[in-house]
Amino acid sequence: MKVTVKLIGPLIYAAGFSEKEITLPDSAAAKDLFARIKLDKKRPTIITRNGNAVSAADKLSDGDRIVVSPLYSGG
Amino acid sequence: MKGWIGNILRVNLTSKTYKKESFTEEFARKWVGGRGFAVKILYDELKPGIDPLGPENKLVVALGPISGIPAPNTGKCIVAAKSPLTGFYGDGNLGTKVSDQLRKAGYDAMIVEGKAEKPTMLYIDDDKVEFLSAEEMWGKGTYFSNDWIYAKYGKNVGVLNIGQAGENMVRYAVIRSMEGRAGGRPGIGAVMGSKLLKAIVVKGTKTIPQADPAALKAAGYGDLKTVHEMDKKSGWSIQSTNGVLAWCNEVAALPVENCRKTSHPDAWKVDGERLNNARVATYGCPSCTMKCGITIHDKEGHESELDYENVALLGPNLNIFELDQVGSLNYLCDEYGMDTMSAGCTLSFYADAIARGAAKGDFKFGDAERGKELLGMAARREGKVGNLLAEGSLRMAKEFGHNSEAYALQVKGLDIAAYNCKFIPGQALSFGVGPMGAHHKEAWIITFELKNSTRDSYGADKAAKVIELQRIRGGMFEFMVACRFPWIELGWKLDNYPRYFNLATGLNWTLDDMWEVADRAYSMIKLHYIREFPDSTRKGDYPPAVWFDTANSDKEGPIAGKHLDMEKYDQLLQHYYDQRGYDKRGIPTKETLGKLGLSSEASAAEKYAKLS
Repeated sequence: MKVTVKLIGPLIYAAGFSEKEITLPDSAAAKDLFARIKLDKKRPTIITRNGNAVSAADKLSDGDRIVVSPLYSGG
Repeated sequence: MKGWIGNILRVNLTSKTYKKESFTEEFARKWVGGRGFAVKILYDELKPGIDPLGPENKLVVALGPISGIPAPNTGKCIVAAKSPLTGFYGDGNLGTKVSDQLRKAGYDAMIVEGKAEKPTMLYIDDDKVEFLSAEEMWGKGTYFSNDWIYAKYGKNVGVLNIGQAGENMVRYAVIRSMEGRAGGRPGIGAVMGSKLLKAIVVKGTKTIPQADPAALKAAGYGDLKTVHEMDKKSGWSIQSTNGVLAWCNEVAALPVENCRKTSHPDAWKVDGERLNNARVATYGCPSCTMKCGITIHDKEGHESELDYENVALLGPNLNIFELDQVGSLNYLCDEYGMDTMSAGCTLSFYADAIARGAAKGDFKFGDAERGKELLGMAARREGKVGNLLAEGSLRMAKEFGHNSEAYALQVKGLDIAAYNCKFIPGQALSFGVGPMGAHHKEAWIITFELKNSTRDSYGADKAAKVIELQRIRGGMFEFMVACRFPWIELGWKLDNYPRYFNLATGLNWTLDDMWEVADRAYSMIKLHYIREFPDSTRKGDYPPAVWFDTANSDKEGPIAGKHLDMEKYDQLLQHYYDQRGYDKRGIPTKETLGKLGLSSEASAAEKYAKLS
């Protein structure tokens, strides 16, 4: 399956891209996607799918738009 | 007494007199400084019902016991008065050298009373205060005034000044400093203007008394370096606060077209990546090593400093997606000295009211050029339209009628910060119960409610989170007078703040002691509200009605068809009141006030509303 990954703020510069399509095995979960991105895995983040939060174990679906953001705390 | 100097400077513009007044250690421990000092002083000294733009209103400039020390992000200052926008207590904080200069001059705070005969600049030089003519600056913008002051006194003085918006008493005029910093969203700049006070300039040379100055200096300088390294490692300041814009757009929380929509396909054009790419320079407050002020060249070539709130509310909320045009609108707000958030919400409300047929006019969403003209008209109070815009969105709605108040993006008269809470109940609560109105500095729980809860939950956990963050953000950081960014964006530990406080004062406080002062300050702001609006207490704690409106639901995207639920919001609000120790009207009970050491203030408040 293919999912689109959009990174937010400083994660863009750490991972080296802002948005791209990634191909994953059909049964992949959010953590499998996260493992494919060059990010400090200890950094607190929030992962959303189509605007709502997902956990690391949540299975992804073809065509999902996944957004990975630092845990902002609101200016 | 260590940490505090123990003196307040009282200046009377009418009589051109000033005096030094001392305060007790009990007062210092009870209110600490900043917002704490301001709520208490204004409650004791202002009579309810006074005109906020009359000479009887007072301007308070307040610092804290760690102001003037070299610890991370302590170069801030609180400005407060009865708000011309909301009609009760209002304050703001801004980065400024007044923070250390006023303390070095020998004061923890100053109170400005009365009204000058002609445009005046106060020059405070240690123990001496001069009442100087400001006629050369009157009618000019804040950049001109700041340059004029720097040319006369050098760049090391502390400066607070206003632009044309303050002079003309635009109800959301701010106070500016250091050619880029601004504070006092609820119209504190208009209070200065009403007193014909163009600027305050401060120079101090004394030593600030501290319990352990060597340890404080070592900790402060060391921590400034550590915070800088944390920022470099995290990369936060690459996009600064505007990093959150793209995320708000993705999760349907961006204000677009006066909050009709929550996202827009062109939002990327004004996001953090584009802002960083267009960066001309970076600015920050004193004692800051994670500078957040990114400037770009605006459409006319001015250097304009942008952050998330002003980009979102002067950009997408007006359906404007050209970054240089957003920069222009922002530059004009800064030059005139008006709050970018209220200016954005006022213009978006005006466009919406015209589109819905509640008002006549020629302003449409997306029209940046007309937006610029309107900002100038508001700042100068030019003609009927300029005067109307200068009053802010709530007063405009009352003038327009046709139920337009429902889509004025405000709470208690203060316009929202840039989070569209159409389907974010916890953040909507945070705006609703914001003690001064819809200010983002009090609590921000959006990532919490998306990550740890479900979006459509209205549970007690969200009310608890709002209170937890109010104690930290609107509480400790506002009465200690420090910037919250090292903590919220880099994870700098909160324990550091009682540590600085203890090194400065010689006391042995914990965070729990800080939370008690925070709750005291919040209750006092409630008492300010009660004595001005005794019949509106619960009514004042609701977010904009448009977020409850089925017809305003998104037509597509993650929250299509969703909106806030009034019955459930009522329950959420009750959770908040129960946890705060407030009654069903949202008024602190006698027991709550008693526990906070506010029994005498409670007795005084009973003149306006019977306490439970």
